[in-house]
Amino acid sequence: MEIKQTALAGTLESSDIQIMLSEGSDGIHFDLTSDVKKQFGDDIMATIKDVLAAYDIEKANVKVIDKGALTPVIKARAITVAQRALDLKDQPNWEVL
Amino acid sequence: MVEAIKDLYLSSPPVKRQWENFLKKRGIDDFASQETASIDQTIGLFDEQDQLVGTGSIAGQTIKYIAVEDDAHAASGARFNQVVSALENRLAEQGCFHLFVFTKPKYQAAFEHVGFKTLAKTDYGLILEKGTPNIDSYRQGLKQRPATAKTVAAIVMNANPFTKGHRYLVEKAARENDWVYVFVVNQDVSLFTTKERTDLVREGTKDLTNVAVENGGDYMVSYLSFPAYFVKDQDQAIAYQTALDASLFKEQLAKPLGIQKRYVGTEPLSHTTALYNEALKNILPPEVLVEEVPRLKASGSDQVVSATEVRQKIKEEQVNDLAQLVPESTFDFIKENQKRLQERILKGQQINGN
Repeated sequence: MEIKQTALAGTLESSDIQIMLSEGSDGIHFDLTSDVKKQFGDDIMATIKDVLAAYDIEKANVKVIDKGALTPVIKARAITVAQRALDLKDQPNWEVL
Repeated sequence: MVEAIKDLYLSSPPVKRQWENFLKKRGIDDFASQETASIDQTIGLFDEQDQLVGTGSIAGQTIKYIAVEDDAHAASGARFNQVVSALENRLAEQGCFHLFVFTKPKYQAAFEHVGFKTLAKTDYGLILEKGTPNIDSYRQGLKQRPATAKTVAAIVMNANPFTKGHRYLVEKAARENDWVYVFVVNQDVSLFTTKERTDLVREGTKDLTNVAVENGGDYMVSYLSFPAYFVKDQDQAIAYQTALDASLFKEQLAKPLGIQKRYVGTEPLSHTTALYNEALKNILPPEVLVEEVPRLKASGSDQVVSATEVRQKIKEEQVNDLAQLVPESTFDFIKENQKRLQERILKGQQINGN
């Protein structure tokens, strides 16, 4: 699906993650800032990629500031940002959950 | 520990006093009206005892007046991050995903830690940005120079409006270089609107095939990098801002785009612009040379051609005198829109600034 608008979800507080999703030209591009990038960077990006795939988002720029979020938190923030970017806020996609 | 973010309404004098005292204790003491007037909203972070322990403000898309009380128990920076993300979420709700911050060098790391990227840095301060679109997408949106172009130059102009003096400067740069970027100041606070100014520069240079006319965006002589260009300010503030603007140009534009020279006109008339030229000469070399070109004089006179004079003539309804000051395209535009321009002046548009 095409991204309709840039969207932001999450915060910069400890154990949270902030994700900004905006229109991209080809593929999914990540810009990840995290203190644990070395250890968990790939996992964080894979988690977000899975959520985006479930929404059929193929082209996007994803800016991520991770503050040590656990996988369920990352997933929840990714779902929120995808719903906002696709302007589907009031039609939750239960199957993704 | 539960700490809550609340709105601070600075229009209420006790709230404003509390806010000022909090900031003063943390070394922020400039509450000049031109600084505070631009604030759109202010938030406060309160602890369980309802004590103010952090604050931050938004002015347009800039984060300002941010300070937090250090908490010995919590992880360092937790409050800072909480305030920054609350401000970001508020901007996001308004559909603004691109923000800036000016700060002192010692806070660079704190902002970089929450995803800001440094655009320019001087000894006194720095500008950081976060979000999208950003400087990278701005650069990608610029017209690419042909691969054969070896010497690249740039000119930044407000062109309010485009005169024969501007034309002379562009022509000289185009003659001496393979490729020339002309960046038109984006801030829409001049007699001629940004669109009108840009169109007139395009129109007035369209015969020069190696010239690309671009909008300067937020990055060149904008309210952001150089507010004193538009608002009268003290020399100290001007020096600080011109240095930031010059180093932003050098780091984010000249270096990545391969610009080797920046052309400027000598500035006998405007004090601010003269200081700006000085800053460029201090900061850009040796990587980027500054070519200061003596200003074009009007035919049969000793006066330099200046857009200020053009605007004066429009005000005085002596439009026919303009033929010797501006190129045909600008002249035609002014004749056609004379009424509208005069209305703008009557409505209070300043014409004696830049």
